[in-house]
Amino acid sequence: MSVQSMQETVARISKRTLQRPLTQAELEKIAPTRDERLFLVLSIFIGVLSGLLVVSFRIAIEWIKILTLGSAPHAGQFRLILVPALAGLVVAALVQLVFPAARGSGVNQTKAALYIYNGYISFKTVIGKFVTAALAIGCGHSLGPEDPSLQIGAGVASMVARRLNLSRQRLRLFAPIGAAAGLAAAFNAPISAILFVIEEVIGQWSAAVLGSIVLSAISSVVVARWFWGSEPIFRIPPVTLRDPRELIAYAVLGIVGGFAALVFSKSLGYLRPRLRALPNWTHYCQSGIAGLLVGLIGFFGFAQVMGPGYEVIDQAMHGQFAWKLLLALALLKILATTLSFSSGTPGGMFAPTLFIGAMLGASVGSFEKLFFPHLAGTVGAYALVGMGVLFAGFLRAPLTSVFMVLEVSGNYSIILPVILANMIAYLLSRALQPVPIFEVFTHQDGLELPSMEEAREESELHLEDAVHPVDVPIIKGQQTIGEATQALTAARASALLVSPWDGSWYAMSAAELTAASATSTPDTPIERVLPAERVPILFPDMPLDSALHYFQRWPVLPVLNRAIRGKIEGILTQDDVLHCYHEH
Amino acid sequence: MAVLQLRSALTPEERQLRQKLILRDSLALLSLFAIVIVLFFITLALFHSFSVHRQELAQRWLTRGENALRAGQPLIAIDALRSALAYAPDDENMQIELAEALAAASRTEEAVAYFNTLLEGRPGNGMINLQLARLAAKQGDEANALDHYQAALDGTWEGDGYVRRREVRLELAQYLIDRKHFDRARNQLLIAAGNAPDDVNIELQIAGRLETAQDPANALHLYKKGLQHRPARLTALQGAGRTAYALNHFLQAKQYLERTLNHPDFEKQPAEAQAQLRNMLSDADHILLMYPGPELSVRARTERILGNKKIAQERLADCLSSKTTVPPALQTMADRWQQLPARLRLLQLEEDPELEQTIMQLVYHTEQVTSQQCGSPTGDDALLLKIAQAPEAVEQ
Repeated sequence: MSVQSMQETVARISKRTLQRPLTQAELEKIAPTRDERLFLVLSIFIGVLSGLLVVSFRIAIEWIKILTLGSAPHAGQFRLILVPALAGLVVAALVQLVFPAARGSGVNQTKAALYIYNGYISFKTVIGKFVTAALAIGCGHSLGPEDPSLQIGAGVASMVARRLNLSRQRLRLFAPIGAAAGLAAAFNAPISAILFVIEEVIGQWSAAVLGSIVLSAISSVVVARWFWGSEPIFRIPPVTLRDPRELIAYAVLGIVGGFAALVFSKSLGYLRPRLRALPNWTHYCQSGIAGLLVGLIGFFGFAQVMGPGYEVIDQAMHGQFAWKLLLALALLKILATTLSFSSGTPGGMFAPTLFIGAMLGASVGSFEKLFFPHLAGTVGAYALVGMGVLFAGFLRAPLTSVFMVLEVSGNYSIILPVILANMIAYLLSRALQPVPIFEVFTHQDGLELPSMEEAREESELHLEDAVHPVDVPIIKGQQTIGEATQALTAARASALLVSPWDGSWYAMSAAELTAASATSTPDTPIERVLPAERVPILFPDMPLDSALHYFQRWPVLPVLNRAIRGKIEGILTQDDVLHCYHEH
Repeated sequence: MAVLQLRSALTPEERQLRQKLILRDSLALLSLFAIVIVLFFITLALFHSFSVHRQELAQRWLTRGENALRAGQPLIAIDALRSALAYAPDDENMQIELAEALAAASRTEEAVAYFNTLLEGRPGNGMINLQLARLAAKQGDEANALDHYQAALDGTWEGDGYVRRREVRLELAQYLIDRKHFDRARNQLLIAAGNAPDDVNIELQIAGRLETAQDPANALHLYKKGLQHRPARLTALQGAGRTAYALNHFLQAKQYLERTLNHPDFEKQPAEAQAQLRNMLSDADHILLMYPGPELSVRARTERILGNKKIAQERLADCLSSKTTVPPALQTMADRWQQLPARLRLLQLEEDPELEQTIMQLVYHTEQVTSQQCGSPTGDDALLLKIAQAPEAVEQ
């Protein structure tokens, strides 16, 4: 083969290489920091894109509502029955025939994308979710736009990351980044969105992804606020805690909220699997029938329960309803949302949860104000706390629920009632319904996604759980090999701990000591025969699994005191660790 | 240094790949940027059209709500104003109108809750306090109503605060009158009168309320003030006549009532009101004919005294005859009459002014005692009783 032909061959191979997508190994070699740098830049792009899409999504919902239900839907209009029923039929057909992945709220779908599909959400799913959810919510189905926004954001992130050929690990991380952006734009509350994604989607504080989540959430909120303004989605009246006795009233609200969350969860948990188990042809009309029933509720006097109901939350927060009407609205919203969601209509649970919470809160507040005026504060404060209460009790995101109320109210003085009521509702709901609602849906869908609540409550084992008192000889570095041998023999131990002059530790096995005795005289100081390496520094509060991989090298590991340098709290052997795992 | 090492570690092919990758990434980012720009303008266009439409809807529903409220259809107004607020949630006037509609529809509980929430946002707002006062008054919660009326008086008002505070004060006075708290009502009305401008309408309005609050003296003062404006108003003349009559200033009452009856608008008054005023004038005339005023000639005065004496004695006799057992007060009166000379001649009386005075006092006292013992008198006895209440005021 001539030189020229060789050069041609190399050039041909090079050209082919340049045209095909690069493998991850090639990318790692030629641009090792590319993923990391793109990750942050793309987080901002994802935030902006998600923000724009979510704003468009909300406008689409409002336009559809005005065009189909009219600018002021009210009881007695026949369109209230017809529109959600017809929209349900159209949406069901779209979901069954064109966008099967658009079904449901979006939270579990995003979790599934993260844990099962390597962060993959198709463009078709994003479009499907946008169209079907906007149509259903705009036409009066009792669902909200937040969870779909979360999935739309995650979908945008997935598409962007795929286009840039990022690693699988990075691709997987983009889903929660987009989810946070979508939710932040929908809520106009970045902290709550970040916390929710961490609490419910990722389940842990991961430094690798936290920065990007924050960047994307803030970018999307900046975009949303550019359009909607910096005000929260509902106007917040002044809220204060005037008298500590009011906390009694808020505690009552927590109890009421806990039971309401139970009723809501049980209703969904009962109806949804039964409707799903019906023959396939019924899935084409379930949304339509649900729409018809929701429409009937609206037609016969409670049009407020249709759609997401933000303006009704706003009205309740500003004391426009009497307590009996508020209570009726809360109960009917539970019914309407159960029907809409169980029928498989795409749409979220956040807005209905906030709606029910606000109605219950305002109802309890109005009732107490009427009958126990010295106990109650403003109705708006109760509505606000009520939203957090149901968020904590139903969605089981206690941290998010507290920060959500603080963030939307912009008022720290409400912290005590919020924490008290939310925690009561959360604990009550947990005691009465051990499995959180999103996990119930996951099981109903036949998926096995990690439970964030269980993960939060798993008690991690630490070294202190396995450590036992020092039962091996401890020798100073200056002591001789003979003394060490004598001490080991006397203790009948299999290893000893040596403390060299620098305060470090060395764990020497009996075999090592025998080998040292064979090559050195008995009066040789033991530190002269020690190799350079030392045992790892371990403390009692470290995770138990952190010690496991050291036992291949060391027969025994000293566990040190964090406060007193050089002091040993106890020692650890492989058997100790395994025994501890057996015990728990 | 690290970069140089990396560069040196790459083969020419890999370097070419790297450049290609950088180019591809840059193009991808640029295309993303372009997508963002395009999507931004699409969203902006959508948002703009949506915002404009929202404003139109808010205005449309507000107009409908206001029209319904004016037409006395508060239920329709509530729906319309709620719809308007859904599109313009921060409009404060709209919020107050909605609460007013709730109150007008007798959905008092909802209205109170709504106004209370509005008040929490604007604690010193005079209009909201006024509405809450009205609702509390409607619910019969007097203490709360008075608190909110006071807060409305002390509160802030937009633009025409001076006028609105006076209106609130007059409304509060009317509320106090309705609750029979005349003293407190009088205080509010006198404050209002003290701060009122020189406007006949306001003077007459306050005078009317003072009259209802059983303060004819101050009412008469304001009616007189109102009559200083030309042309004289029928309302002012009527009020002055009525209050002068109530104060037993029968001479003044006669003058005002005569002017009232001669006023061109008098015939347009309801027949009942006309009859009432005519009766008052007739009574005033009669009283002035019966009253033995000091400006009369001695003879004329003596004749009137003897006439009055005869009327009173007959009234006493009738009263005594109607009783099976004579009450002590009547017996005392009869004894006092017995102490007078049995027959009184004109000359005798003309020469004894003290006797004249004693007789007239006995006449007045007789009419008062008999009205207590034998019920309200009629005819001349009734007129004498009126004189008896303040004889010195008759010719004021």
